[in-house]
Amino acid sequence: MIQVQAFLPELWLVVTAFLILVAELFQKPDSTRIFIKGIAVVGVLGSLLSLCCVGGCGTCPFSTCGSVESLPEAFNGFLKTDGLALFFKFIILSATLLTLLISFRYFKANPTNYTSEFIAILLFSAAGASALTSARELITLYVSLETLTISSYLLASFMKKDKTSNEAGMKYLLLGAFSSALLLFGFSYLYGFTGTTVISEIGKDLATQVSSPLLTLAVIMIVAGLAFKISLAPFHMWTPDVYEGAPTPITAYLSVASKTAGFAAFVRLFWVGLSVPALQPTWVGLFGVLAALSMILGNLEALPQKNIKRLMAYSSIAQAGYITTGFLAGGPLGLSAVLFYLFIYLFSNMGVFLAITIVYSKTGSDQIEDFAGIWKRSPLIGVVLLVCLLSLAGIPPLAGFAGKWYLFSAAISKGYVWIALVGLIFSTVSLYYYLQIDPPKPQLERKTRLPAIEKHFGRLMAEESCNSERKTSIQWHKKERLRRKEG
Amino acid sequence: MFQVLTVILLPLSAGFFSFHSTAQELNFFPVLSTFIAAPMIAVLLVLMAPDKYARWITLLISSFVLGLGLKLFFSYQTAVGGFQFVEDVPWVNNLGINYNLGINYSLGVDGMGTLMVLSVAIAYFAGALVSWNVSLRKKEYFILFSLLAVGIFGAYESLNLFFFFLFYEFSILPMYLLVGIWGTGERKEYAAMKMTIYLLAGSVFMFVGFLAVYFASNVHTFDIRTLSDLSATGLSLGFQNVWFLFVGFGVLSALFPIHTWSPDGYGSAPTAASMLHAGVLKNLGGYSLLRIALPLMPDGAKHWLPYLAILALFNMLYMAIVALKQTNFKHVIAYSSISHCGAILFGICTLEVTGLNGAVIQLFSHGIIAAITFALVGLVCEKAHTSELSKLGGFAACMPVLAGLFMAVAMANVGLPGLSGFVGEFLVFLGSYQSGFHGGFTIYQILFPIGILSIVLTAVYYLRLLQMVFFEKIKNPQFKEEVKDGSFIEILPIAVLLIVSLIIGLYPKPFVDMSNLTITPLIGHIGGFK
Repeated sequence: MIQVQAFLPELWLVVTAFLILVAELFQKPDSTRIFIKGIAVVGVLGSLLSLCCVGGCGTCPFSTCGSVESLPEAFNGFLKTDGLALFFKFIILSATLLTLLISFRYFKANPTNYTSEFIAILLFSAAGASALTSARELITLYVSLETLTISSYLLASFMKKDKTSNEAGMKYLLLGAFSSALLLFGFSYLYGFTGTTVISEIGKDLATQVSSPLLTLAVIMIVAGLAFKISLAPFHMWTPDVYEGAPTPITAYLSVASKTAGFAAFVRLFWVGLSVPALQPTWVGLFGVLAALSMILGNLEALPQKNIKRLMAYSSIAQAGYITTGFLAGGPLGLSAVLFYLFIYLFSNMGVFLAITIVYSKTGSDQIEDFAGIWKRSPLIGVVLLVCLLSLAGIPPLAGFAGKWYLFSAAISKGYVWIALVGLIFSTVSLYYYLQIDPPKPQLERKTRLPAIEKHFGRLMAEESCNSERKTSIQWHKKERLRRKEG
Repeated sequence: MFQVLTVILLPLSAGFFSFHSTAQELNFFPVLSTFIAAPMIAVLLVLMAPDKYARWITLLISSFVLGLGLKLFFSYQTAVGGFQFVEDVPWVNNLGINYNLGINYSLGVDGMGTLMVLSVAIAYFAGALVSWNVSLRKKEYFILFSLLAVGIFGAYESLNLFFFFLFYEFSILPMYLLVGIWGTGERKEYAAMKMTIYLLAGSVFMFVGFLAVYFASNVHTFDIRTLSDLSATGLSLGFQNVWFLFVGFGVLSALFPIHTWSPDGYGSAPTAASMLHAGVLKNLGGYSLLRIALPLMPDGAKHWLPYLAILALFNMLYMAIVALKQTNFKHVIAYSSISHCGAILFGICTLEVTGLNGAVIQLFSHGIIAAITFALVGLVCEKAHTSELSKLGGFAACMPVLAGLFMAVAMANVGLPGLSGFVGEFLVFLGSYQSGFHGGFTIYQILFPIGILSIVLTAVYYLRLLQMVFFEKIKNPQFKEEVKDGSFIEILPIAVLLIVSLIIGLYPKPFVDMSNLTITPLIGHIGGFK
């Protein structure tokens, strides 16, 4: 029996996307496309609201469908939405909504004729990510993952006149396709061993089997394939290039939504399917090494970065490492720590990327140097940036602190003290580069009179009025960069 | 002057008379939360008020807090002892059924805690006065200064490991900004970053240690009282875990060889920040050894303390020697402060009632003395626009009052009888001598004369400072016209702190009694070296 509730959020997204594509036909080429943007926001909001019906919380006055006992399912149980999936969906859809809002701002600074297509692809991608969280079967999981990633390739290379964006898309495509192949390779072995593609059945079947080298190989392939998607070291090589080249909203989207979807796949596959005595030590050990490597490499390589998007790429690698620490600890404490942290990470990271977009739209630059004196030039953005970065670094009383506390306490509770120690020590390092972005440098401010970015909150709303100011600001920054290069 | 005195005395008395009743009837008034809330309110008020009122608001609130601290000291019931003024609010209790996280917002002070809260209140008040003439970005400065006080008050009052850690980390970041923006010297950004990274790295070890203790206990709680009761019943919370805490608290109390953040940081920090940080936040290291490490893991602590004693001794002696060679006025003071922290740690290592009492008194007196020293040195350097010893000299002629005060401060540092430094150090060394007899650790008998040597060295470098800065021929003739003696408002905090030091030095009984209320049960719980 097919229950629509099981894929209601995805349905909303896909229908909205098609609506936008159709509505685009009736737009004048140089219109601001306010209507389309409106549809998109309403669509994503509707999808977020529809989570309420899926959950069957029992308190919703509009729907009588579903309860906690009978989870909505569709397509022979291949899609089944439980609380875990709901939480993941909530994070992904919120990330999509925020990405949309950031992208409106971004396209004001970088006008393009393809806004509608951009939005439609973004929504398709979100639908893939959202479906992934409730997939209970390997093929469904793979198809939704590919919906997510193939759309992401397009989005990463969306600025087609920009060389770095093209490079980003190409790199992402080649490496992403490679990792998908690895993943499928692993899946095919799993199917060969168990004769089923349903994850829970695989778990039952494997529980009776002993460990074998081929099975281990399958696990390694799956780990490698998915680790690409969430950019765990040493499969993180694509991340800095793609994050740097992709349009900033897409970087934000990749760093939050795509990663969240990856973790959803991890949790389903490993804690449901492969959590059998024969395999668990293997993949837990593997994840331990990957997490430690990501935390070490991500934090250390972030130190010398000059471009803020590259820096955020390495930071997101390190963050993936922290989250993996909680994931490999597992159990109610570990998994809820993962969910909690992802939820915090959503807002902190999105805040940073919003600030980056705004600064970029005024200065035309992503270089960290051009953030100098942001305190003075735009107090509001300065404070937003500082709070979000400190939350990422885990400084109390911000949310990141509580998040890290739970993640690492989960790891220590299962006896992985060394991973927690590595993570904590290298998260200390992270404070160094986070503070470099927003450093207190009054001398610099006094020496050079930097142009204001946005002094007043009101200007954020009515930024049309200061277009000429923006041009002078961009020119000033160009000159400044040239001067730095020569000097 | 009249205005300033009004702003000090009125809130001070308001704080002092804010509650009358005895500790038992106090449940309706959360005294300890007020200590945390008051600086927070100062932050909010400063945020909203115009620039020029920032210092008035901070002074007003800080003198209120001082009054509250004095009242706390006097209304702590010595006849009853134990934790008083306790507040217990469940914070995050359950995560599922099996995961009681045991995070309660619980505050409370015992004898030692009362002393430390009082010392923080004094340092906060003196710091607000010292910052009177800050001109750069006043608002932000006073906001961060009060935030630092919030963190420190919270850490001293917490009875829950989670909140202890939260407040401690909370105090790290304001310090980074204070040093980075309002600091002095060429390398202030480097110093600020180094300090922050070191303290955060130290907190990592604390964190792992806390969680290891949490999971080793079968009840899963972060409550310090419950955990120490557990360890009293013989449950071992981990023999080696104590190492994490030693490293964590060691970084904080600038234990050799993880002390290098301290001279850099204090050398560059603005005066008031280094007063709060060197005076009271650094003491948190020694304090939390007594509050957390010893009662929670007595078996591990007893085994490892003699090794720590050697490091502590090294701290005292080596830092004194290093201080001799410094060319920067502020660096000498920073090293001197580390050397005194060594005495605190050494006192703790004796595991003897006398020695531990000495450590607590030394904690309190170091808080006061370090604060005066930094205040005075900051003032002199600010007037001379340099902290290089080679450029200073002959200031006794142009600032006689400050020179006289510095002499008194130097004597307090050296441990002249009659000033607070003497009481603490005397008890520490007495304790280590006794410990040699009681526990069979004759090593302490060998060690403590070496420790006493450090006092001699302290005298040497303070007299050297006195000679170089105040009594040589004036090196820069400009100073004669330009440098003025301290004004009333500049001398006020120094005088207040000096009087406190004098009171402890002349009549230490109430203070020792107060700390003894914590120490005797603690030794009873641990059992000493036997």
